Amino acid sequence: MQQGIPGPGDLRDDTNTGRLLIGSLVRAQLSLSLMCLMLALTVTVSFPVVAALVPAVGRIRVAGLPLPLIVLGFAFYPVFLAIGWFYHRQARQLEARFTDLVDPPGD
Amino acid sequence: MTDTGAGAIAFVTLLTIVVGARGIRVARTPDDFMVAARQVPPALNAAAISGEYLSAASFLGIAGLIVSQGLGSLWYSVGYTAGYLVLLLLVAAPLRRFGAYTIPDFADGRLGSVGLRRVATVLVLVIGWFYLLPQMKGAGITLQWVLGTPYWIGVVTLGIVVSGNIAMGGMKGITFVQCFQYWLKLCAIGIPALVLLIATGHASDRNLQPGRAPVFTRATVVQVPQAIGFTLAHPTRATVTGLLDQRRYRHQTVPLCACRHVAGAGTQIGFAAGAPAPTSLAMAPSPGVAWDSPLSAAGTDGAHPLVSTYGIIIATFFGAVGLPHILVRFYTNPDGEAARRTTLIVVLLLSTFYLFPTVLAVLTRLHAPQLYLAGDSDDVILALPSLLLPGLPGALLAALVAAGAFAAFLSTSSGLLVSVAGALSHDFMHGGVTSFRWCAIVAGAVATAASLLIGRFSLALLVGWAFAIAASSFSPLLVLGIWWRQLTRAGAAAGIVVGGGACLAAIVATMVGAATRGWSEVLLGQPAIWTVPLAFGVMIVTSLLTQRTLPGHVGQVMLRMHLPEALSRQDYRSSPLERARRSPGR
Repeated sequence: MQQGIPGPGDLRDDTNTGRLLIGSLVRAQLSLSLMCLMLALTVTVSFPVVAALVPAVGRIRVAGLPLPLIVLGFAFYPVFLAIGWFYHRQARQLEARFTDLVDPPGD
Repeated sequence: MTDTGAGAIAFVTLLTIVVGARGIRVARTPDDFMVAARQVPPALNAAAISGEYLSAASFLGIAGLIVSQGLGSLWYSVGYTAGYLVLLLLVAAPLRRFGAYTIPDFADGRLGSVGLRRVATVLVLVIGWFYLLPQMKGAGITLQWVLGTPYWIGVVTLGIVVSGNIAMGGMKGITFVQCFQYWLKLCAIGIPALVLLIATGHASDRNLQPGRAPVFTRATVVQVPQAIGFTLAHPTRATVTGLLDQRRYRHQTVPLCACRHVAGAGTQIGFAAGAPAPTSLAMAPSPGVAWDSPLSAAGTDGAHPLVSTYGIIIATFFGAVGLPHILVRFYTNPDGEAARRTTLIVVLLLSTFYLFPTVLAVLTRLHAPQLYLAGDSDDVILALPSLLLPGLPGALLAALVAAGAFAAFLSTSSGLLVSVAGALSHDFMHGGVTSFRWCAIVAGAVATAASLLIGRFSLALLVGWAFAIAASSFSPLLVLGIWWRQLTRAGAAAGIVVGGGACLAAIVATMVGAATRGWSEVLLGQPAIWTVPLAFGVMIVTSLLTQRTLPGHVGQVMLRMHLPEALSRQDYRSSPLERARRSPGR
C-alpha cells in the first residue's frame, strides 16, 4: 500500500487517516442535515410567533379562506417535500464525492 | 347507514385477515417472521410505512379536533408529516445501515449494554401501549356509531382481530396489508372529501368569518340522539318537540337564552337560518383562542396558547423518529440510500393524505354546524357525509369513511402490537415464534382492557401524548447515538429514564386531572416542550461526565452507520490488479 494516499483500507483498518476521513464525512452529512432541519423549523416555527405578535396576519384572507387555514392546511407540505428532495439529492452527491475521494474510479 | 357501514367494516376486516393469511405460508424462519426479509422496493415500503402510521388520530381525531378547537389543531397533521422529514434528515440512512431490527437492538448494538437494552424495551412497551389505546377507542366509537353497539364491543372486536391476525401471520403478511391499508385509507377519506366539496359547491363562508361562532346557514331541524347539555353563543328562538330544560314541548316556539341547556334523548329542535349552532360540552372550544387562530389552546382556561402550540410542534416533529413500530419497517429497505428514498416518498404520501381531514373539517364548520352538538369530537367525520348528502350516496360515503377508519385502527394497532409483542418475547421471554404468538395475545388483551377506561380523551390528544413520550426518550437516543461519538451507556440510560419518565408522569398527572389551570395545565398537558430538551440535556451532560466508559467499538459502529454502500461492500470498485497491489502492504 502506498503511504500517504488514503484508501478504503484505512477505513476498514481504523487507521488515523481512516478516522479522519470518516469524521469528515459524518461532519459534512450532519451539517447538511442540520441546515435542512433549520430551514424546515424556521419556516414552520416562525408562523405561530408572527401570528401571536401581529394578530392582523391571522386575519388575512386568501380567496375567502383564512390565512392560517391555507398555511397550516396546505402550504407547508410542498415546503417539506422540497426540503426533503433537496436533502436527498445533496446527501447522495456527498456520498458519491466521498467514495470517489477514498477510492478513485480511474485509479 | 347501519347495514352499509357494517358491511363495509366487515369487508375491510375480512380483507385484512385474508391478505394477512397469505403471509403465513411465506413466514418460515423467525427472521422472516419478524422483518419481512429486507427485500421490499421503496414505493411499496413507503406505502406500508404510511399505512401503518396513519392511525385513528389522523383519520378521525384531527378533523374532529379542528372542528371543535379550531385551526390550531392543524399543527397535529403538519407535525405528523414533518416528523418524517426529521426522520429523513437525521436517522433514515444511518439507522438502516446499522442494521438492527428494533430500538432496543440499536441501543444494545450501539452502546453494548444489556441493561440499557432492558430500559429501552420497557419504554417500547410504554409507548406501544399508550399508542394502542386511541386505536382501540377509535374502534369502539366507530362501531358504536355504525351499529349502535356499546363502546366496549368495538374495543374488544379490534383487540381480538388484531392479536389473532398477528399471532398467526407475523410481519410478512403485515407488509402487504399495510400497503393496501394506505391506499384504502386515502380513498376512504379522499373520495368523501372531494365528493362533498363538489356537492356543497359555493355557499356562504359565514362560518369562516373571524371571531364568529358557527351559525346555521339554512333552517335546520336537529334531532338529539341522547340526552346532552349544550350552550348557545347568543339568544335565539327555536321550535322544540320533546324534552328541553326539564319541560316537555310539542312543536312550540321557545326563546332560548345564551346559557346552558339540557335536551332529552329524541328531542327535535328546529333552528332558523342564521341561528347560532348549539355546542355540546365535548365540542366547546377552549376560551381565549379564536377558531381561526393558528394557535392551539390546551385545556380549560386556554392560557398560554403559544407554549401549548410549541409543545405540539416539538412532540410531533421529533416524536416520529422514536416510535417503536415505525423504525422496524426501515430495516426492510435494501440499503441506506433506499431508506432515504422510501422516507421521501412517505413524506409525499402523508402530505397527500393530510389534505383531506382539513377539507372535511372545514366542510363541517361551513355546512353542518349541527355537528357541534356531537357528544364526542371524534364522531364528527363519521356523521358528516349523511348530513351533507341525503339518501343512498351519503350513506355509501359514510360507509366508506367508517371502513377507512376501521382500516386505520387495524393497521396501526397491528404494527404496534408486533413491536410490543416482539419486545416482550425477545427481551422478557425466551424468544422464538411460539413465545411471540403468546406475547401478541397477552399484549393485545392488556391494551384492550386499558382502552375501556380512556373514553373521554380526544384521539388526537392521546396519540400526541404517545409522540411526546417517544420524542423525550428514543429520539435523543437515536439522534445522539447516530451523530455523536461520545454518547455513553450511562448517558443514554439517564436521558431515556429522566426524559421519558418526566413526560409520562406529566401525562398521567393530566389524565387524572391533577392540573386544571394556567401554567401547570399547559406544561403538564403538552410536556414535550420541556421534556425533550431535558432528555437531550441529561443525555449529553451524563455522557460527558462518564467519558471513561466510552464503548471501545464506537469507531467501527460509526463507520458502519455512515459509510456509503459503494465503499462498505466487500469488493470495492477498484480493479482486482489494484487490490492485489495493495494487499502486501497490510
